[in-house]
Amino acid sequence: MRRRKTRIKPLDIVVGLFILAGVAYISYRVSGGLHYKWDWKAIPQYLLRYDPESQEWMSNILLQGLFTTIRLSLWGTVFATVIGTLMGLCRVSHSTFFRLLGRAYVELIRNIPPLVLIFIFYFFLSGQIMNVLGVDALVASASEGTKSFLSLFFAPPSRFTAFVSALITLAIFEGAYITEIVRAGIQSIERGMWEAAYTLGLSRWQQMRYIILPLAAQRTLPPLAGQFISTIKDSAIVSVISIQELTFQGMELMSATYLIFEVWITITVLYLILTLSLSLAVERLEIYLRRGEA
Amino acid sequence: MRVRRFLSGSVIAVALCILMAGTAFAENVRQQLVDESTVEQVLKRGVLRVGMSTFVPWAMKDKTGKLIGFEIDVATRLAEDMGVKVEFVPTKWAGIIPALLTGKFDVIIGGMGILPGRNLKVNFTIPYDETGMSMVAHKELAAGYKSLEDFNRPDVVLAVRLAATPVAAAQKFMPKAQLRKFDDESQAVQELLNGKAHAVVASAPMPAFQALKHSDKLFLPLKGPFTSEPIGFALRKGDVDTLNFFNSWITVVKAEGWLGERKNYWFETRDWEDMLK
Repeated sequence: MRRRKTRIKPLDIVVGLFILAGVAYISYRVSGGLHYKWDWKAIPQYLLRYDPESQEWMSNILLQGLFTTIRLSLWGTVFATVIGTLMGLCRVSHSTFFRLLGRAYVELIRNIPPLVLIFIFYFFLSGQIMNVLGVDALVASASEGTKSFLSLFFAPPSRFTAFVSALITLAIFEGAYITEIVRAGIQSIERGMWEAAYTLGLSRWQQMRYIILPLAAQRTLPPLAGQFISTIKDSAIVSVISIQELTFQGMELMSATYLIFEVWITITVLYLILTLSLSLAVERLEIYLRRGEA
Repeated sequence: MRVRRFLSGSVIAVALCILMAGTAFAENVRQQLVDESTVEQVLKRGVLRVGMSTFVPWAMKDKTGKLIGFEIDVATRLAEDMGVKVEFVPTKWAGIIPALLTGKFDVIIGGMGILPGRNLKVNFTIPYDETGMSMVAHKELAAGYKSLEDFNRPDVVLAVRLAATPVAAAQKFMPKAQLRKFDDESQAVQELLNGKAHAVVASAPMPAFQALKHSDKLFLPLKGPFTSEPIGFALRKGDVDTLNFFNSWITVVKAEGWLGERKNYWFETRDWEDMLK
């Protein structure tokens, strides 16, 4: 792929000036029309703070929230991909049962607002499931090493069950969309590929595993990347069930300090850093996967 | 004939069994109730899980991310007296009762007003605190407003937090005014500062704090709160042991003067301001 050179034309300059004027007008309105005392000095201490006792810099509320968001979206993405791939395979299966299963899952989850899904899952299902599995007791009785491992990669023991229910909801929700992406990817592979694989004497599973899925994976990367970014953004929804991720921490901070706009803007920037870097990483990956093609 | 005798014999036997089981059953139920009460569970677990919501100066996070406030002091002392650790579960106000009912924590110590409607869903302890609704108003929009009557007009907009107590107070005392409901108080105050609402109705002492902080734009139209509400711990229904324990605990710390002293620190002084920013 050759990089096209960008040339600036007169029209671009005019449009650019219009945008600048718009931004200037809005910021003028905000500073004049909005009766707000800006206090940006207070914000950095909520990201990082110096702890006089241990004489170290420590992450504070907002950064801790960001870390929780990262954990949540990372695991959410992993589990959603697993669920999505399995269900995607069900959707294209030869067995009516699996096809119905996949269809039912996608239609059920995709047609419920995520907020409703989260409330239903958290209040009605998670308690029952977690009790049956005895997750609480399991975590409480775990060794110190396991506990610190869990706190590092999931959540501290006290918030473990809530975190896991949020994670499952997020994974099930995003999984429905990934299912459809995977199905579309598999169905987009030309018939000839299947036939060629069949003539090689491969079983259906082998055809899928060695020929179709690798091809489909490459084609589905762009929409999958979009879905992964969505997962990060959607993770903000679980703030309603009091998972202490970035949005929740921000809102707590706002009700304690009344620094509404400063905190919202800081949160926006943190989310942007997260999603933009993921976007760029996926772009790199796409170029890498296309390296063999002309 | 033999069949009938056999039948009547078994009926008597079964009836006897049920009777005996009944008395044993009652014993069991009582033992089970004691074992399953929240207090017992807390002692077994060694941790008291307290549901709360950020609400200045009841409970808030300080600069270091640590929770501070009146409720935090109360819950910490309660756990100390029980000999267990305390664990706070910050929860959105709108979902705090469902979270209690589904067992996400043991008790709500979060400035929850005792209301009959709420009491049908949860049990309340005796009050450990009292609060009232008070009002802070915009200097230009509400210029000259001095009484609740002045605000009771259709063109007046009141901003409140989406919670039962302020909404009920506003509707009762100013039924003609329009209500604009927000998820938390900082948003309601911002609406007021932007000049889109005439006043904010909220639990004391927040309105007074805001009037102090933005003295160029806001003022207190009324002297002090215009309602008085008892505040209690909320816990799940059907748990007599826990309710009794909490009630006695409140009676004791109240008699000690400790509650009053803590309340004075958080509500009458502003010594804790520096801990926030």
